[in-house]
Amino acid sequence: MNDSQPALPPAGWKAWWRGQSPGLRLARHTLGLVALAVLLLPFADLAIHTRDPWGELGRMAAGLAWPAWGALESPFSALGLTVAVALWGTLAGVILGFPLALLFARSRLVRAGCAFLRAIHELFWALLFMQVFGLSALTALAALAIPYAGIFAKVYAEILEQTPPAPRNALPPGSGRLARFVYAELPLAWTQLAAYTRYRFECGLRASVLLGFVGLPTLGFHLETAFREGRYAEAGALLWLFYGLIAGLPWWGHKRLTPLLLVGGAWLLGPWPSVDGALLWRFVSEDIWPAALLAGDWAGLVEWLARIPALGPAIGNTLLLGLLGTVGALAVALALWPLASRHFGNRATRLAGHGLLVLLRSTPELMLAFVFLLLLGPSLLPAWLALALHNGALIAFLVARHADAIAPGMPALPASGRLAYELLPRVYPGLLALLYYRAEVILRETAILGMLGIATLGFYVEEAFDYLMFDVALFLLLVTAALNIAVDALSRRLRPRAVPLDDPCVR
Amino acid sequence: MEGEQRRLLVRFTGEDIGHGTRIVLPRLSLVLHEGERVALLGQSGAGKSTLLGELRRRLDRRAAWCPQHHGLVPQLAVYHNVFMGRLPEHSALANLWNLVRPLRRPWREVAALCDELGLAGLLRRPVGELSGGQRQRVAIARALYQARPLFLGDEPVASVDPHQALRLLGLIDARHTTSVIALHQRELALTHFDRVWGLRDGRLSIDAPVDRLTLAELDALYPDADAARRGPDALDADIGVPGVDALPCPRGRS
Repeated sequence: MNDSQPALPPAGWKAWWRGQSPGLRLARHTLGLVALAVLLLPFADLAIHTRDPWGELGRMAAGLAWPAWGALESPFSALGLTVAVALWGTLAGVILGFPLALLFARSRLVRAGCAFLRAIHELFWALLFMQVFGLSALTALAALAIPYAGIFAKVYAEILEQTPPAPRNALPPGSGRLARFVYAELPLAWTQLAAYTRYRFECGLRASVLLGFVGLPTLGFHLETAFREGRYAEAGALLWLFYGLIAGLPWWGHKRLTPLLLVGGAWLLGPWPSVDGALLWRFVSEDIWPAALLAGDWAGLVEWLARIPALGPAIGNTLLLGLLGTVGALAVALALWPLASRHFGNRATRLAGHGLLVLLRSTPELMLAFVFLLLLGPSLLPAWLALALHNGALIAFLVARHADAIAPGMPALPASGRLAYELLPRVYPGLLALLYYRAEVILRETAILGMLGIATLGFYVEEAFDYLMFDVALFLLLVTAALNIAVDALSRRLRPRAVPLDDPCVR
Repeated sequence: MEGEQRRLLVRFTGEDIGHGTRIVLPRLSLVLHEGERVALLGQSGAGKSTLLGELRRRLDRRAAWCPQHHGLVPQLAVYHNVFMGRLPEHSALANLWNLVRPLRRPWREVAALCDELGLAGLLRRPVGELSGGQRQRVAIARALYQARPLFLGDEPVASVDPHQALRLLGLIDARHTTSVIALHQRELALTHFDRVWGLRDGRLSIDAPVDRLTLAELDALYPDADAARRGPDALDADIGVPGVDALPCPRGRS
């Protein structure tokens, strides 16, 4: 060998690929995830069952383009109820969650309890409470407040934990615990706490719409009915109403208007159901437990377990859909973020990109899945598309915002070079971290997509509720929760470290 | 010496000082008497904050404390930040109510104190909106408001101009019999204090009254100054690090 050529590139792609730079590690990581998804793809049912999906899509698009405003019955009461449930549900979540946040760091029991509350989707809580409180506002409020209490407890605790310690340490010795909290901790965390509460309220708005899918008369109820009956022009009008609601949030959701909305909302929530204490007690103490367990009959319990339908395939489908949804969201995010970034395209393309992202991320997954289901028939495909598009758009939006804050070192590069050399290496670790944060959310959504007839755990949960087999329903809910907690722990281990995600609103 | 008759406040005899298992100042020996005004010198990371923290722990409620980087709450008003100096003296309920509506007597006291410190008219302003020098004075006001016989300050005059620094040190002196103050201004240490504690490499390398010290001796506390003194042959000639005295302001020399 000639000594004057010391700096040869590594021999062959294998040596190059084995490098230890963070970029290569992330690339291997990503390709591993994609390879796993591709490997498992044959096990997923991705068939298209409808005869004429394109014609159906055309009719839907026509409905969205020419909405039938006149056909809506009482849209404003549905709208009002949607807002009232979201507002009061979030408020109740704050009231329950805040004290838990103060105990969060100290009590393992509180942490585990909150993880459990979070792991079950709002709609499942609604199904559960509906057995006791019927189709009432109480069911809707509890369905939002309970999981949100768990979420608030965790996120508030994390925010409070990150307040700088210097003001605390500067206090004279002997300052009481309460004084320390209200003077040297709460004011430092206030802006972030308020921002997160606001974000959660927006989520609550979407969840409140979805509660219509289980029969509560919010916007979603009318949407589902209109879609199911093929009245797409009416559905289109309702969808525009929903987008208007989300887009107008900064105006009607202003801080000063909140008390007014709370009082007005309380008016809309009634009438309150009369709760039969005996019935409630029977539900809690007997109905939701397997009879064999209450009787202490272990053989009977095993038999009861064996009778639960298709548990293995349901778990498999749930996990598979979660994985496919995560990988799909990654692909969608990678494809869409440049559309909304200031570094690419012109004014018109950016505006269109922004519009697309807003549309995709403000439409709840369940609604997207529902529309795709009508188009494509019941398989994993519509659920996959819905999860990938919604979550991908959400991540793309955040990544575009991150990229916009970067000033490229060589602005004269062509667009492809700017993407591959300047921006992608900088935003990709953040993108992957966001994806892992969303993986848990995606899995949670996966379970509820079952309510649309896709064979995930949610399908069997709803079936159990329909047949009044509350013991089976509770068992399946516990399995769902355990699955979520496990995936959350796994994604936390896999997520790239050293990427600070200081914005709690991504969770 | 007259210091010998004064009351002893703190004595370290060959003690290891640090955070948990990490020892910053091994086998430290020093004494602090009542009535002494001590300047604590040493380059950044020499252990000044560690020593002050330990003094604060031992002196507990006898010492007022002005931390490094102020430790203020930017979202709260100047009044509330200063009021925090006396949180333990009010009930929890009074402290809470004070956030909603300032208590009358503390408001008057804090207003008078702020007038002296040149913060008049800023009582309702959130600290986050103030300039660096103003924040510094708020931090000092909070320490003064504690009204303790002893003052412990971790660079309390780091971000104000030299004239203001003198005035603030005067205010601190007027209200406390004893003080230990970490500084970077060597000249101030010699002109305004009775005694200097100098830390270098985890040792108390200077512990003497100021009338026996010179600026050159204080320079020995700073390794960067060694390099400059040794002359150009000890330095990389291309970089050409200027001598300490060539730097325009005293802060630059530390």
